[in-house]
Amino acid sequence: MVEAFPGALVGPSSKERKYDRQLRLWAASGQQALEEARVLLVNSDGPWGKQSTGVSGVVGVETLKNLVLPGIGGFTIVDPAVVTEPDLGVNFFLEEDSLGKSRAQETCRLLRELNPDVDGNFESKPVAELLQDPEFLPQFKLVLVSGPVNRAMLSELRSAAKALGIPVLYTRSVGFYSTFSLQLPAAFPIVETHPDPESTQDLRLLNPWPELAASLTSISNLETMDDHQHGHVPYILLLLHYLEKWKETHDGNVPSNYKEKTAFRDLVRSGARTDNPEGGEENYDEAVAAVLKSLNPFTLRSSIREIFEMDECTKLTSTSANFWLIASAIREFYNKHSVLPLPGSLPDMKAQSADYISLQNIYKTKARKDTAEVIENVRRLEALHSPRPAKIADKDIETFCKNAAHIKVIHGRDLPQLDGEVHTLKAIRNALSDPESLISVFLGYDVLDSIITDIQTDKQSEDALDSTLAWEAGVDRVMRSLTSEASAAVDEGTRQRIIQATQELRRTQGGELHNVSALTGGLVAQEALKVMTRQYVPLDNTCVFDGIRSRSEMYRL
Amino acid sequence: MVAIDQTLRWKHLYNVLTRSGPFSDEDWVPGPETISTLESSKILVIGAGGLGCEILKNLALSGFKDIHVIDMDTIDISNLNRQFLFRQVDIGKPKAEVAAAFVERRVKGVKITPYVGKIQDKDEDYYMQFKIIVCGLDSIEARRWINSTLVGMADFENPESLKPLIDGGTEGFKGQARVILPTLSSCIECQLDMHAPRPAVPLCTIATIPRQPQHCIEWAHQIAWQEQRKDDAFDSDDLEHIGWIYNAALERGKQFHISGVTFQMTQGVVKNIIPAIASTNAVIAAATTSEALKIATSCNPYLENYMMYAGEEGVYTYTFEAEKKPDCPVCGNLARRMTVDPNMTLEAFIETLGERPEAQLKKPSMRTEEKTLYQRFPPQLEEQTRPNLKLKLGDLIADGQEIAVSDPAYTIDFRYRLDFS
Amino acid sequence: MLKIWSMKQQQQQAENAEGAAGKKKKKVTAAQLRVQRDLQELTLGSTMKMTFPNPDDILNFVLTIEPDEGMYKGGSFAFSFAVNQNFPHDPPKVKCTQKIYHPNIDLEGNVCLNILREDWKPVLNLNAVIVGMQFLFLEPNASDPLNKEAAEDLRVNREAFKRNVRTSMGGGTVRGVQFDRVMR
Repeated sequence: MVEAFPGALVGPSSKERKYDRQLRLWAASGQQALEEARVLLVNSDGPWGKQSTGVSGVVGVETLKNLVLPGIGGFTIVDPAVVTEPDLGVNFFLEEDSLGKSRAQETCRLLRELNPDVDGNFESKPVAELLQDPEFLPQFKLVLVSGPVNRAMLSELRSAAKALGIPVLYTRSVGFYSTFSLQLPAAFPIVETHPDPESTQDLRLLNPWPELAASLTSISNLETMDDHQHGHVPYILLLLHYLEKWKETHDGNVPSNYKEKTAFRDLVRSGARTDNPEGGEENYDEAVAAVLKSLNPFTLRSSIREIFEMDECTKLTSTSANFWLIASAIREFYNKHSVLPLPGSLPDMKAQSADYISLQNIYKTKARKDTAEVIENVRRLEALHSPRPAKIADKDIETFCKNAAHIKVIHGRDLPQLDGEVHTLKAIRNALSDPESLISVFLGYDVLDSIITDIQTDKQSEDALDSTLAWEAGVDRVMRSLTSEASAAVDEGTRQRIIQATQELRRTQGGELHNVSALTGGLVAQEALKVMTRQYVPLDNTCVFDGIRSRSEMYRL
Repeated sequence: MVAIDQTLRWKHLYNVLTRSGPFSDEDWVPGPETISTLESSKILVIGAGGLGCEILKNLALSGFKDIHVIDMDTIDISNLNRQFLFRQVDIGKPKAEVAAAFVERRVKGVKITPYVGKIQDKDEDYYMQFKIIVCGLDSIEARRWINSTLVGMADFENPESLKPLIDGGTEGFKGQARVILPTLSSCIECQLDMHAPRPAVPLCTIATIPRQPQHCIEWAHQIAWQEQRKDDAFDSDDLEHIGWIYNAALERGKQFHISGVTFQMTQGVVKNIIPAIASTNAVIAAATTSEALKIATSCNPYLENYMMYAGEEGVYTYTFEAEKKPDCPVCGNLARRMTVDPNMTLEAFIETLGERPEAQLKKPSMRTEEKTLYQRFPPQLEEQTRPNLKLKLGDLIADGQEIAVSDPAYTIDFRYRLDFS
Repeated sequence: MLKIWSMKQQQQQAENAEGAAGKKKKKVTAAQLRVQRDLQELTLGSTMKMTFPNPDDILNFVLTIEPDEGMYKGGSFAFSFAVNQNFPHDPPKVKCTQKIYHPNIDLEGNVCLNILREDWKPVLNLNAVIVGMQFLFLEPNASDPLNKEAAEDLRVNREAFKRNVRTSMGGGTVRGVQFDRVMR
């Protein structure tokens, strides 16, 4: 297709046009990360007894839909189930002709239609068989599991993924409830967390570097400027100017507490000219508004300090990830200068074009200089810890420097289990103290998981799914776990809330509702995108959604 | 065609429609009647875009059998990253038709009737046929229109006239779903201040002291085009037009040493593009259709009345009850019925308003949708509408028509429906 | 659905309102209603006049300002107001229909007034806009111009600027641009 385009300029490619609305969120770098990622979906693990095919796997397919559309590299669906009549009433990616065929094959075929750029394939074998092949799991960047599945299989898959550092999302959607947990590696770093731009301003007004301080000479005649000039002095320079004045009368100190800042603000305000038609000056208004927000000495956020102190950062090896090498280089920078590299961005402000641009250049130049120093540190560290697979790109170091104050490392945890880690039980007990908490739904799912495990290991028949006895026994087991320590008091209200949750789960006998699975598939895909692009901040680590009251909660279990 | 075993096919859905849950209303009677109520509920979807595609799929798989969809747009390449019912070959075709046909093909037994056009093309008779209306729109104006239309239709003598409006909206990783029971709960107009206004840059900055690449683009779009291509109507979908703006903005950037003008940014500024992804749409669309299912069947309580979602940092939702504003210009002053003599003059009618129990309107101005009946100020308009005072009501308005009355003595306005005696 | 309905009936009975629904007949829109109110609350001095080409359409009108003091005294300046259905969420669109020499109004008629754009809020009304417009003629603002040349003249030489204003108002040429005659 040839399109007329003015001038010698090249318009966006058709791929850029197709992905335009998402590139505005995660840019080309995020898109590239997506395109390099292959996702494994384990969408069922065999039937539940003789009647039921087991998990409908709608939530898994809906999640994949939301990943195929934005263009992940590829996916593999593992699902030993055969398409049955109830599948067609709940799964959009199946059709009449699919009846009796492999569900993995059919859902794969219809999902592929969504995006010709995505490679998709399928396996109709149980995942346990596939895991026998050591080459199977390492090809994926992310594993999605649709539950409830029997505990042994989940355990095996979870450990195998953990050993390879592959994140796992385990999702269950039944009736009006859903829950999912994200298992991340022990240290999962993110550079581009996309914080609110308001919170990221770093102007260094209290400790200006020489070039910024020198720019004050351009307004040494502030008092004698004509109204037009006076009304267009960038507020950054105004603040620097009045800080100098303040210091003259305060033993060289800058305003440090609220009271002093308020007094300083009045000093700035008193400099505004009011004998003009507008009765004031916008640049002064901006300066006054910025006093409390912008006049803070640089402090290293505790989360960044923690990252600097982690073993990964202090004990580099030749196999350390790029993130840790750059973090370590920035730590050196910080140790030397007591500040992080300057991000270099300047907010828009009332000013003449040329004055603004020259001020902007002062910030940009300083940021480039800081980055250059960090690059130097990185190169030295690379040499020290060679051989390394590849030289870290300057561009990546630059991005890191821009975001240095907002990087994040998530300390990943295993998929939570009631009888797993101590911290899980503790966090659940804490959450239970709030009667409105959705943690009772999570516990309801634990009961369901154990029933499914019993059915799949022939300890109970499939009738257990609708047996009061089975569900009550499950609730009793959960209650016993919760009260396993004598000190822990779990009241009758808690028990009632868990019973209610199990009643709602039992209502569909483990079946999915399309709406709730579609919604959950959206939530899970969102987390998957954040994990694969390594942008924004993913869930840590469990979310419960209640479709009855349309609300959700997050827990660190 | 092979007969479908409905009970088997809809097994999971029927489970929640034939069995009570712990939170279902105690008066609710689950069973076949609930199922047939659901299947006979005609439902309207406004918008067949990012949310609309999802909504249609979800409703079809929630047991709704008679779905209508309105959308005036055609499919663009930039829709394909999320509007999953559309393919490359569909580019240029009407969204409503392609979406309806796709879902009908995929989900057997559902009937989806598309209408390609504006919601404003349709009148109250049209909206009256639906039980529930689900909105997936990106325009505030269209939302306000359907909201005020549905509020106006609600008549307590006719239970069928109450049309629950379920509205969804997204922006990037964020979105919201809300349930509006016209005249009963907080409406879109009550919640208008929750829509942040689009930040604007002073025109003089754009004209004389640009500092940002966006200022250069705005200049090209709002000033240069007007000066240099006055006779071409600007079309933001015309690549030649966008290209011209882009080049003009680049030039201006060069002149002022401003860097960073890109084609992508030009499009974003000129078309006011809001980032959009499949996953956020999936969340919000399913939140709205889940409410539609609950409202249509009573199988569980519905949302009262607002859920917001933000996905940038973990999974964050906040569910709350937005308040109804007593002075809401749409639902705060519902039309009251008044019987009048069509032979009465407007002047005499105005006098009677001074004796109304709810408000003694001494200096009212009033109009119908089409006509300014009498406007007391400014003087020029008073002069132009003064002759109406001597006319008979029957010559000015139609039987059953609504008038809106403002009076400086009251901060709220009044609406009356005038029935001729 | 039934539950919702009984709620409605209870509420209506409690309020004893006479709920009504007109069918087919169009309702006065929220924007129309707001403009009706705003118009009624205007305070127009002797220097301002409004005309409605179609009195039934109160969303579109012309405001004429005839300053009785200041540099623009004796002129008659016409502005078209277009209010859309999204009012008051959106500000009214205001344009000068004549080509005039003014630092805050460009040759295309665009007006630089903060409340018409970046500082517009739904709580503002038409009166606020009209007061702002009037102010532009009493105190043209040189520091944030739309017409850069005019602003420069005003800044550099106020007397020359005044002369230019008179020339332009008479339909003369200033800096090579011919202006519309706008004398009363």
